[in-house]
Amino acid sequence: MKTKRRIRNTAVYILLFVLSVAFLAPIAIILMNSLKGNFYISQAPFTPPDSETFVGAENFIKGFSQSDFMRSFANSAFITVFSVAGIVLLTSMTAWYIVRVKNKFTRLMYYFFVFSMIVPFQMVMYTMTYYAFELQLNNPVGIVFIYLGFGAGLSVFMFSGFIKSIPNEIEEAAIIDGCSPIKTFFLVVFPILKPTAITVAILNAMWVWNDYLLPYLVLGSGENKTLPVAVQMALTGGYGNKDMGALMAMLVLAILPIIIFYLFCQKYIIKGVVAGAVKG
Amino acid sequence: MATITFRNVAKSFDNGKFTVIPDLSLEIKDKEFVVLVGPSGCGKSTTLRMIAGLEDISGGELFIDEKVVNDIPPKDRDIAMVFQSYALYPHMTVYKNMAFALKLKKMPKKEIEEKVMWAAKILDLEPYLDRRPRALSGGQRQRVALGRAMVRNPKVFLLDEPLSNLDAKLRTEMRSQITMLHKKLQTTFVYVTHDQTEAMTMADRIVVMDKGVIQQFDTPQKLYNEPANMFVAGFIGSPQMNFFDARLENANGLKAKSVGFELEIPKSKAAFLSDYINKNIVLGIRPEHFISPDEAFEKGSCSLTVSAELAEMTGSETNIHFELDGKRHIARIKSDKKINRGDKIKLLVDPETVHFFDKETSLAI
Repeated sequence: MKTKRRIRNTAVYILLFVLSVAFLAPIAIILMNSLKGNFYISQAPFTPPDSETFVGAENFIKGFSQSDFMRSFANSAFITVFSVAGIVLLTSMTAWYIVRVKNKFTRLMYYFFVFSMIVPFQMVMYTMTYYAFELQLNNPVGIVFIYLGFGAGLSVFMFSGFIKSIPNEIEEAAIIDGCSPIKTFFLVVFPILKPTAITVAILNAMWVWNDYLLPYLVLGSGENKTLPVAVQMALTGGYGNKDMGALMAMLVLAILPIIIFYLFCQKYIIKGVVAGAVKG
Repeated sequence: MATITFRNVAKSFDNGKFTVIPDLSLEIKDKEFVVLVGPSGCGKSTTLRMIAGLEDISGGELFIDEKVVNDIPPKDRDIAMVFQSYALYPHMTVYKNMAFALKLKKMPKKEIEEKVMWAAKILDLEPYLDRRPRALSGGQRQRVALGRAMVRNPKVFLLDEPLSNLDAKLRTEMRSQITMLHKKLQTTFVYVTHDQTEAMTMADRIVVMDKGVIQQFDTPQKLYNEPANMFVAGFIGSPQMNFFDARLENANGLKAKSVGFELEIPKSKAAFLSDYINKNIVLGIRPEHFISPDEAFEKGSCSLTVSAELAEMTGSETNIHFELDGKRHIARIKSDKKINRGDKIKLLVDPETVHFFDKETSLAI
């Protein structure tokens, strides 16, 4: 029995190790190659930099100068911060309303949000792009509203699940203590939602920051372009014309903020995902 | 001053589809400790929530201090409420939980601190002021909930089954704490419970409710000794009162004949029962009013012999379960002898302790 369990555990560990390597390898390869010269990247992409191949910050400097990095970084940061803030704030309020006010309208709203999660982006991207241009949303401020729409489904779903587990009596106690509905939400409900809010923020931040297709369609490759578009536009041209070193360096810089954000908040992800699963 | 008056108050849900309280009239005096008691779904919590303003009133008028409060929001009613699940704010420390309502009132910081420290001292919460609710035991959490209500110095304290999540020992402890708190604060307390022991031990007066209707509103002693109907008689007292169908006959004195025994009606009760001669009535005998022949007793003019189906030793007393006329009954007698299943037990009844009910209306005679 014990040996059987040990074999099973070992198999699980091996599987998890292989999966970890598979997920981490691309990041490690980008990081290693961002410090190597272009020639060595194509010669030996999987070997770490050594005294011969190491070029220091050269790739980073090249990338900065060629890719309009700071401007697109600022665009990405603006869009991500305001989209995520809007999603967290507005969808938590929506979910609170849906859960606490039980009627046909709120039930229908909830089903709409859940349904929006399962509609693939590719299905709506042409009409969405058309209307984004019609409504003058093809700018960094406008795209925030589009992200709010796309992010609302999953976020409302997650917040609703958690709010259901908050006893109504806590809100009633707040009302008796003198809270208006707005104060009840901001002083009592929202602080309780913190773990879920952080989870929703991380999931949406990763998606918005890394998104390529939507900003490419709506913002294009002009001065409003976001970081993923900027990296792709500036550093890859026709075949054989790629500056792989600068590309790798820019990719490292592009993924760095989101990794730091994730590391800071990751303990809340587990809390947020399991919150409400069991009655406390 | 904080009197609470219900005048023909009604409460229904779903646009009148479900009526929980058809017509409630009740007057709670200033500084009184009133307990609302009844089985689940009897409307006691709804009544409390109407006082709190958490439920709209469908009809009638509710007064707090002679002022109609039907449309006054909870925060302006000067009430405080303690919930069954404590309803503490999990993201705040004990101190912040207690200070929350005062902060919303924009009370000066120093005054808030004084009030919180005063409540914490009374409730023995001083060492826990920096803790979050999750780091407290059930009893401590309940005390924080009480403290949160106390600091507001409200006109009315509302408590909705505040002890039902605690274990038996802690419940007894908290029961006496709440009673002492009431004496100390000299405020009107309205307390909801389904536990009749809590009601009996804490209340000045008890409202017994069933299906949204007040069955009796009186002192604990009156409810126990003079229940208004079979529902109250059965609800108050544990184990509950035994009911025996009987027929009242006048042959060599007034007698109530039941299956297995015959009860001679005492003179003190004969006058009330004269209208029921040759009619069916119900006799109510509390388990603790059965007497074992071992006990020195002279007045007992009624005896019955039963076969013990189950005997539960509770220390100095034994609960004997027996069946008579197809119904299960319980007698609680003083006995230190071991009683086995099937043993024949002789039980005596003092007729003065027997209650009489109209079989048709269930009302006490």
